[in-house]
Amino acid sequence: MSDLGFSFSLSQLWQVAGGQIILLIAGLVLIFVDLWLSTDEKPDHVATMGWLTALSFLVALKYMTCTGWTLNEIVLVDVFSTEKFAIFVSAIVLMAGIFASLMSIGYMRNNKLVRSEYFILLLFAVYGTIAMVQSVDLLMMFIALEVMSLSVYVLAAFLKNDRKSQEGALKYFLLGSFGSAFFLFGVALMYGLTGTVNITKIAQVLSSGPLLENPGVLVAMAMLMSGLFFKMALVPFHMWTPDVYEGSPAIITGFMATAVKAGAFGIFIKLLSVTFTPILAHSGQPEFQSTVNLAALAAYWKPLLWWLALITMFVGNLVAVSQQNVKRMLAYSSIAHAGYMILGILAANDEGRMGVLFYLFAYTLMNMGAFGVLYLLDGQEGKAQTLDDYKGLGFKYPALSFLMALFLVSMAGLPPTAGFIGKFYLFAAAIKEGYFVLAALGILTCVIGAYYYLRVIWMLYMVEPSREVVAGGVGVPSMIALIAAALGIMYFGILPEGLAQVANVAQQGLAMVF
Amino acid sequence: MNAPILTYVTFLPLLGVLAILFIPQRSESGKNAIRWVSMVISTLVFIVSLRLYFDFDPDVAGFQFLEQYTWIPSYGITYFMGLDGLAFWLVLLTTFLTPITILSTWTAITKRVKEFQIAMLVLETAMLGTFVSLDLFLFYVFWEIMLIPMWLIIGVWGGERRIYAAIKFFLFTAVGSFLMLVCIIGLVYFHHQETGELTFNLLSLYDTNLARTYEILFFAAFALAFAIKVPMFPFHTWLPDAHVEAPTAGSVILAGILLKMGTYGFFRFAMPLFPDGSAFFTPLIIVLSVIGIIYGAMVAMVQPDIKKLVAYSSVSHLGYCMIGLFVLNRHGVEGSILQMINHGISTGALFLLVGVVYERRHTRMIAEYGGICRPMPIYASIFFLITLSSVGFPTTNGFIGEFLILLGVFEVNKAYAVLAATGVVLGAIYMLWMFQRVFYGKVSNPKNEKLKDLNRRELAYLLPLVALVFWIGLYPNFFLSKMHASVDHFISQVKISEPASPCAAVEHHAFVDDKTPLDVSSAKE
Repeated sequence: MSDLGFSFSLSQLWQVAGGQIILLIAGLVLIFVDLWLSTDEKPDHVATMGWLTALSFLVALKYMTCTGWTLNEIVLVDVFSTEKFAIFVSAIVLMAGIFASLMSIGYMRNNKLVRSEYFILLLFAVYGTIAMVQSVDLLMMFIALEVMSLSVYVLAAFLKNDRKSQEGALKYFLLGSFGSAFFLFGVALMYGLTGTVNITKIAQVLSSGPLLENPGVLVAMAMLMSGLFFKMALVPFHMWTPDVYEGSPAIITGFMATAVKAGAFGIFIKLLSVTFTPILAHSGQPEFQSTVNLAALAAYWKPLLWWLALITMFVGNLVAVSQQNVKRMLAYSSIAHAGYMILGILAANDEGRMGVLFYLFAYTLMNMGAFGVLYLLDGQEGKAQTLDDYKGLGFKYPALSFLMALFLVSMAGLPPTAGFIGKFYLFAAAIKEGYFVLAALGILTCVIGAYYYLRVIWMLYMVEPSREVVAGGVGVPSMIALIAAALGIMYFGILPEGLAQVANVAQQGLAMVF
Repeated sequence: MNAPILTYVTFLPLLGVLAILFIPQRSESGKNAIRWVSMVISTLVFIVSLRLYFDFDPDVAGFQFLEQYTWIPSYGITYFMGLDGLAFWLVLLTTFLTPITILSTWTAITKRVKEFQIAMLVLETAMLGTFVSLDLFLFYVFWEIMLIPMWLIIGVWGGERRIYAAIKFFLFTAVGSFLMLVCIIGLVYFHHQETGELTFNLLSLYDTNLARTYEILFFAAFALAFAIKVPMFPFHTWLPDAHVEAPTAGSVILAGILLKMGTYGFFRFAMPLFPDGSAFFTPLIIVLSVIGIIYGAMVAMVQPDIKKLVAYSSVSHLGYCMIGLFVLNRHGVEGSILQMINHGISTGALFLLVGVVYERRHTRMIAEYGGICRPMPIYASIFFLITLSSVGFPTTNGFIGEFLILLGVFEVNKAYAVLAATGVVLGAIYMLWMFQRVFYGKVSNPKNEKLKDLNRRELAYLLPLVALVFWIGLYPNFFLSKMHASVDHFISQVKISEPASPCAAVEHHAFVDDKTPLDVSSAKE
C-alpha cells in the first residue's frame, strides 16, 4: 500500500502471482464457455467443465510447486509474496480443489444438478484462498478473504430445493460477515495505531516503539484473531459450522473443511509468526533487535490459545459422539481437528508449524476422501445420511466401505496412516514446549474421537442392514480422487519424512518474509 | 545372520494377505483356497522363525539379530529390530499359535472367510512387529495396528454382544496406549535435553536419567497401558466380555499372545526405562497381582459358562506372571516368562477345546453338558491333560512356571508367596470341578449322546499343544537356558536404584542366587 508507484515488471507479476493468474483466466474462460452452451447441452458438459476446472488447478499447482518453489523471496508491491509457506498452503488448497472438482462431476450427476456456475465459483474460491495466503498486506488479505467467502456462501446454498442448504448458507453468510467485520475492524485499528497495513511493517513499528504499552494493539490483535477464529471454526466461534456443513453439498462441505480451513490457518500462522511473535529474532534483521518486546504479545495470545485448543478439542469430540447424522458428525470432528492443529501453533516452534502444515495436508486427503465416500453412499434414492443407514453396507459395497474405513482410521489417528503421523508431529511439538497437561488431555479427547469414528466402521461392518440403501454410481473422476487420497494417506503414513522435510522448508520461509 | 530375518518373519504374513486379496470367495472351493493359503503362509512363517532358534546365542545378554535402518531421521526414528531371550520365545509362540489357530477356523468361520483370514495375517504381522521392535516409535506403531484387526475379529465374527465387547476392548486399550504415546514423546525430549540427541532408540533411552517425579509419572502411564493389556486386577473388566464374545480363534490369539504384550511391555519398556518409578510402584503392583490371582480364581469358580471360566482363569494366571516379574530375582522372572509361554499354550488349548464343543452344540454352558467323556473319549483325554497343565500338575508346564514364580516370591516375601499359592489350590478346584461337571456322570442331556469325537483336523491342531505341555513340563531347561543372560541383564537394569527404593523390604533378598556376572554394556553393540 505504501508503495503506490507500481514499479514492477510483468515477469515479476507472473512469478509471484502466476498461480492466481492461471485460476483467474480459467474462471473467466469457463464463464464464457458456459454462456455459449444452451440449457439442453449443459448436462452433457458437466464432466467437461469439471475436468477443465481440475486441469486448471493442476496447472496452477504445477506452476506454483515447480517454478514458484524455486524462487527466492519476492515481494510484489508490498502485497503478495512468494514465500514457501504460502506456496505450501496454496498447494494444499489446490489439492483440495482438484479433489473437489473431480468428485463434483459425479456429485452433480447423482443429484441432477446441472449448473456450470458451480465450477466457476469453485475456481474463484480457490483463487481467493491462494491470494489470501500469499498476501502480506492486511487489506489485500481481507479482500481475498471476501472473494473466497462470497464464492463459498453461494456454493453452500447450491442445493436450491433443500431447506437445510438454504438455512445453512444464510447462517454462514450472517456469521461469516460478522467474522469478516471483526477482521476488518482489526485491520482499521492496526492501521490507525501503526500507520501501515503491511504485516512486516506492523511488526517493525510494534517492536521499535512504545506502542506495545497501548491496549489498542491488544484489541486490534484480538479482533484480527477473532475474525480468523470464525473461519477456522474454533470453539466458541464454531456455532455456524454444524448447520452449514450439514446443509451444504457434501463435496462443498469437504472443500470448506479443508481448503477454507487451510487458508484461514495459513494466514493465522503467518500473522502470529510474522507480526506477533519473536520468530523474527532469527531473521538477523537489525531493526528487529528489540523483538523481545513482541514476546510480551505472545504472553497474551498463548494462554488464549491454550484454552481455545482445550475447549475446541473437547467440545468438538464430545458433541460429535451424540450426532446421528454422519455429515454433522464429521462437521464436529473437523472442529476437533482444528483444536489439534492449535496445539502445533501454540507450541510456536519449528516442529509445531511443520506439524500444522503436515496435518493440514493429511487432513485434506482424509477429509476430502471421507466426504467423497459420503456423497457416493448418499446415492440417488434412499439417502444414507444417518448412522442407521450405514448399517451393513460394509459387505455390500466393499470398496467404498473400505475406503471410508481407511479415511476414518486416519482421522482417528491410528497408524499406519498420515493422520497418525500428523497427530504425532503436533503433539510432539506441544510436548517439546512443555505443554504436558494439554497434550495428555488432548490425547484423551482423541480416544473419544476414535470412538465415534469407529462407530461408523462398526455400523458398516458389524451390524445387519436395517434398510435398503443404493449407492450412487462411482464415476471415473471420483474413483481417481478417492484412490489418490487413500494412497496418499497410506504413503505419508509410512514414509512421512519427505513431506515433513518440505513442510519444514516451507515453515522456515516464514522467518524470511523480508 | 546377514539376512534381515526378523523383517522376513514379521512381514511374511502380509504376502499371504496379498495372495488372498486375489482369490474370490463366492464358491466353497474359493473359501477353501483362502484358508489353505492362510494356513500355508502362517506355517511358512513358523518354519522361517525356527531359523531364529538355530542362530540364537543364549550367552548374549543384549539383543541379537539387530536390524537398523533410518526411517524418520528428523525425529531420530529408526526401523530398529532385535531379539532377546524373552522376545525370542514370544515370537516363536506367536508363529506357532497362529497356524494352529487358523487351522481351527476351518468350520468355525464360514462367513466372510477372506476378510477373516486377512485380519488374522495382519494381526500376526502386528504382533510379531510389537515383539521385535527396539524403537519406541516403531513399537507404538505395531502396538496400535494390532488393535484394529483384533477389534474387527471380535466385532464382525463374535457372538451376540460382540459390538459392546469389541468397543470396550478398543477403548480400554486406547486410553492406556494414547497416554503412553504422550509419555514416550516426553521421555524422548527429556533425553534430548540431557544428551542433545533426539532418538526413539530404546537402547539409548535406557540410559536417560529422569527426575524422580517424571519417572513415577511416566511409569504410571506406561504401566496403565500395559496393565490394561495384561490385564491386572482393577483393569480386567474388558477381558471376560472380549473373550466370551470373540470367536474361538480370536480368544486363542487374545489369550495366547495379546495378553503377553502387557507383561512383555513391563519387561521391555516400563521397568527398565523407569527403574525408580518401577520401584515406587512395586508394592502396589505386587498387591494387585495377588488380589488378581485370588480374585480371578474365585470368580472363575462360579462361572456357568466354560469360556468365561477360562477367561477369568487368565486373570489369575497373568497375576502370577506379574508378581514373578516384579520380585526381580532370577527364579521369579524366569518363572514369569515361562508362565507367559505356558499360559499361551494351555489357555490357548482350552479355548480351542471349548470351541470344539461349541461348534457341535452351540452352547458353552457347563449345565448343558455332563458325561460327555462317553461320546467323546479322545476329546476328554486331551481336555484332561490340558486341565492338568492349567492347574499346574507336576510333569506339565504349568507346574514348572508356577513353582519358579512361587520360589521367587518366597525369597522376597513369604506372606505373598503363601497368598499366591492359594491361587494354585483354587485353580485346581475350579478347573477340576468344571471338568467333573462337563465330562463325568451320566449323559444327562440327550443332545449330547451323539456328539462326534475329534476329527483329524482337530487332532492336528491340538496334539502339538499337548506335546509342548509335556516338553516344557519334563525338560524346562531347554527353554530356560535361552533366557538366563537376558533375565540377568534385565534384573541388573531395573535393580540399579535399589538403595533409594521405598520397597527395599520387599526386594531385600532378591539377589540371593545370582551368581552370573552382569554385563550392562553388552546390550549396546
